[in-house]
Amino acid sequence: MNPLISPATTFEGTLLLTTPLLPVLMAIFFIIPAWRSKLLIIAPFTGLAGLLAALLVEPGATLDLPWNLLGTRLGMDATAQTFLLFTALLWLLAGFFSYGYMAQYEHQPDFTAFYLLSMGGNFGLILSQDIVSFYLFFALMSFASYALVIHNRDAFSIYAGRVYILLVIVGELMVFTAFIMISTQAGTIYLDGMSAWSSNSLSIGLLLLGFGIKAGALPLHFWLPLAHPAAPVPASAVLSGAMIKAGLIGWLRFLPLGSYSLPEWGMLVIMSGLAAAFYGAFIGIGQSNPKTVLAYSSISQMGLITIGVGIGLIEPNLWSVTLPAILLYALHHGLAKGALFLGVGISTARLSGKARKWSTTAMFLPALALAGAPLTSGILAKSALKATIPSLPNPWPGWLDSLLPLAAIGTTLLMARFLYLIWHQAPGKKPLQVSTWISWILLVICVAFIAWTTPAAAEYSDYSLKLSTIWLAVWPIGIGLLIAFISVYISVRRAGWRLINIPPGDVLVLLEWTSKKISLPPISHISMVGDQIITYLGGAAHTSKSTQIIFKIERRLADFTIIGVLLLLTALVIFGLSLVTP
Amino acid sequence: MESFWLPVLILLSSLLTGLGIFFLGEERHFARTVLNMAAASVKLVLVSMMWIGYFEGQSYEARWPLLPGIDLVLKTDIFALVFLTLSSGLWFVTTLYAVGYLEETPQRSRFFGFFSLCVSSTMGIAMAGNLFTFLIFYEMLTLSTYPLVVHRGTEDSLKAGRTYLIYTLTGGSILLLSIAWLQTLAGPIEFVAGGALQPNDIPLPVLRIIFFLFISALGVKSAIVPLHSWLPKAMVAPAPVSALLHAVAVVKAGAFGIVRVVHDVYGINLANDLGVLKPLMIIATVTILYGSMQALIQNELKKRLAFSTVSQISYIILGVAILGPVAMIGGIVHIVHQGLMKITLFFCAGNFAETLGVHKISEMNGIGRRMPWTMTAFTIGALGLIGLPPFAGFITKWFLGSGALHAGEDWVVIVLVISSLLNAGYFLPIIYQGWFMEREDPWPFEHHVGPLETNWMLLTPPLITAILVIASGLFASTSFSPLSIVELIALVEYPP
Repeated sequence: MNPLISPATTFEGTLLLTTPLLPVLMAIFFIIPAWRSKLLIIAPFTGLAGLLAALLVEPGATLDLPWNLLGTRLGMDATAQTFLLFTALLWLLAGFFSYGYMAQYEHQPDFTAFYLLSMGGNFGLILSQDIVSFYLFFALMSFASYALVIHNRDAFSIYAGRVYILLVIVGELMVFTAFIMISTQAGTIYLDGMSAWSSNSLSIGLLLLGFGIKAGALPLHFWLPLAHPAAPVPASAVLSGAMIKAGLIGWLRFLPLGSYSLPEWGMLVIMSGLAAAFYGAFIGIGQSNPKTVLAYSSISQMGLITIGVGIGLIEPNLWSVTLPAILLYALHHGLAKGALFLGVGISTARLSGKARKWSTTAMFLPALALAGAPLTSGILAKSALKATIPSLPNPWPGWLDSLLPLAAIGTTLLMARFLYLIWHQAPGKKPLQVSTWISWILLVICVAFIAWTTPAAAEYSDYSLKLSTIWLAVWPIGIGLLIAFISVYISVRRAGWRLINIPPGDVLVLLEWTSKKISLPPISHISMVGDQIITYLGGAAHTSKSTQIIFKIERRLADFTIIGVLLLLTALVIFGLSLVTP
Repeated sequence: MESFWLPVLILLSSLLTGLGIFFLGEERHFARTVLNMAAASVKLVLVSMMWIGYFEGQSYEARWPLLPGIDLVLKTDIFALVFLTLSSGLWFVTTLYAVGYLEETPQRSRFFGFFSLCVSSTMGIAMAGNLFTFLIFYEMLTLSTYPLVVHRGTEDSLKAGRTYLIYTLTGGSILLLSIAWLQTLAGPIEFVAGGALQPNDIPLPVLRIIFFLFISALGVKSAIVPLHSWLPKAMVAPAPVSALLHAVAVVKAGAFGIVRVVHDVYGINLANDLGVLKPLMIIATVTILYGSMQALIQNELKKRLAFSTVSQISYIILGVAILGPVAMIGGIVHIVHQGLMKITLFFCAGNFAETLGVHKISEMNGIGRRMPWTMTAFTIGALGLIGLPPFAGFITKWFLGSGALHAGEDWVVIVLVISSLLNAGYFLPIIYQGWFMEREDPWPFEHHVGPLETNWMLLTPPLITAILVIASGLFASTSFSPLSIVELIALVEYPP
């Protein structure tokens, strides 16, 4: 066993166990109708266990439960600490937000129960130190969040839910296959034994794709711009802020990062990340729903983080620098994106003129942070990421140095679009609850300050205060804002000019259009590819020739005479054989 | 002495119960229920005694010479104990369920009489020490389950019963043929761990043919494609029958037989040398995929579950056909896991039919609001069959996948993945409909009014088995989980 791992103290062990278990237990108790109103009040506090664990449990502490599943191990390490910090903060604050916000919608207990289940899954997978528990919590989180996506029960949510669950299943199966391959080869299910496994293209590909689905990587990203807007605001916040990071942590845990170099895969990953960074911006600018803009922004930002993972694959020696950068970026994005999503919820409430102005202004903070403005967590995160670039082999430094600022322009445009949409948001009718706006303000404060408290920040804070760095951060924002103002000006003056409006779900819409052209058998209007396969089988089963033949064979097999003939034939065959054999 | 009587007593505990019920009048409901539950409890106690004895090193054997060279042998090894425990445990809950289900229906005497005989036959199959004994109890199983299938006496039941009989009697004849042929060539075959057969000078092609005859014969009860058609038809039987038949007695007896033939008659090494394992794997794969594809297009709940059984039993056969202890563990532990999961699903299906008159999946909208506990049990069973942790089915899938990779049969993992996908395709929509859709029309009929969602005797069994499904997965690494026990079997069959 790794000498850096030590059994947790009782206090730490309790925290480690409670963090994922408490939300799940509480969710189960929601079955009892009489307890629901009380549970609703306690539910938001369960995120505290995660927060305490992130703050108080020492990295290296592990809790072994050998009788559980195939041997469970929960533990804390540097990666888990950062992840748990921002994940717990998000679930905690979004939980308080939803307490007030969801009260005005139907089925709040159902929402809260599935919220808790997803929370438990999210916490659990961060703390898992063995492959089976990781898979368990990953599955729990993914399936429970389905209920969050379809919560509104309108046509769009149900559609989004179907796309979501299909890709969840596809991703799960890919991850399962990869997990079986890895653990069989490494001979263990524990993470600390897995550095021994040698890479196998198939498992690496499955890991990249399977977790990539969750992380919103191209080309299987199209569930994201459907599911994140469809879900209620607090669910979108945790979906985009915390849950897509589960894909990232899957990569961090199971890819041989820091062990040896996989240059071709690394190149592929970096290119995918770059593509996502620009693609997300390109499609997102044309959206008219602020939540969809944020969803595409998530795709774009996760693309930047993916570049970090790619750098890790190319240059394992840099991993001690790259990993903190990725963690910092994940933290920064998670908190900022969460704040922005919750802000959408704030802006749709009934606010007085002054409150509206204040809240929109407050939203500038996370938006600027995402764009990488000076003095925000954004510049820290981007500096950290940029620090890994010079040590890359040529020609990467050159390309990345020129492309990343362009991506920053893209992010600025997205944020500008978002703020524009929020500014012009029609005032809502529902009043704002106390827990809602307080939790939001707290989150915005977290966005402002938390990143600066991390250890990585200490390294980069001086660097980020240098004038040269500030200039590098400011000029893309400047250009982005300029483009934004010009386009607003033009669209106001000349009504003919419009932004390209690609419907959310981009690739998916293309697939559906193609399938209509190829004219597959009757499919319902809101169905999607996988669903089509099943419906096709079902529909075809009643019409296709081959299935008719199968049905006929089934009926015949049951026929007495046929059986009798078979029996006779068998007997004859045996008799004949017995004559032949000595 | 004890080593002789305990197996016999286990057999007699349900045999005598069956006979007793026949002699008890139809109207003696209370006495009959007491007799049933008492006998089921006694059997559980006896099986526990056998476990304790086994771990103390005691061996059990009861032997009667019937004909020269042919003995009736009851012997227990750990595999037999696993099957005994599964059968007696599930008999207990199914009896409870059946009492509740068949309330107010005619001919309960006949039903419970044959029910007990059916369980005796299963005990006999489990404890059979040689092929001949196995055959006797195997046929007894067929004969005692026929009256259960046709219990309702309707036109459909009788037709289904006839199909059932034709299939299983044909299978039985082929079994007799194979046993006779093998014993003529190789002498009386007792089950020996690692394989009893000494190939000596028996020509290999003959051994192969006999192997496939065995598989065809046992394959009828194990519902291998294309011998599976009786199973969906037998769904006209009352729910307790479907539950027991499909979880424990009939299909598992077939699978149990196949495991015995591969491991304790031929032996895995001989089977591998003969080259019969690959075809067996392919047969299993075809069944897995075919069963699931048929399940996708069924609208009747019990038919969908039946085809799911067809598919799942072949997981067991697949596990046994792959060389190596890991896959074997996966296959054999699925006997227990699938039994638990499937019986839960059938109990729930019976609840839906009995309480609300819901037989079709299209009628199941919003059933989760009306019957939340039953629907929860159903969800647990379904998610387990899809293979999600922490349910029992995940453990099976993990071991089967790992075992396949260990043995170099990587393509099996793809089969497992596709099968999981198909399982998700026909179980997730049911779960969605039950929990997330609203109900507009009234239920076909509402049969039950009371504080609980349905009769307590119908509600408790699926909850018990659902909890066991969770426990078998969650606590899989404790010493008494099905997984740990089956790992002991692997130690016997694949000595390190």
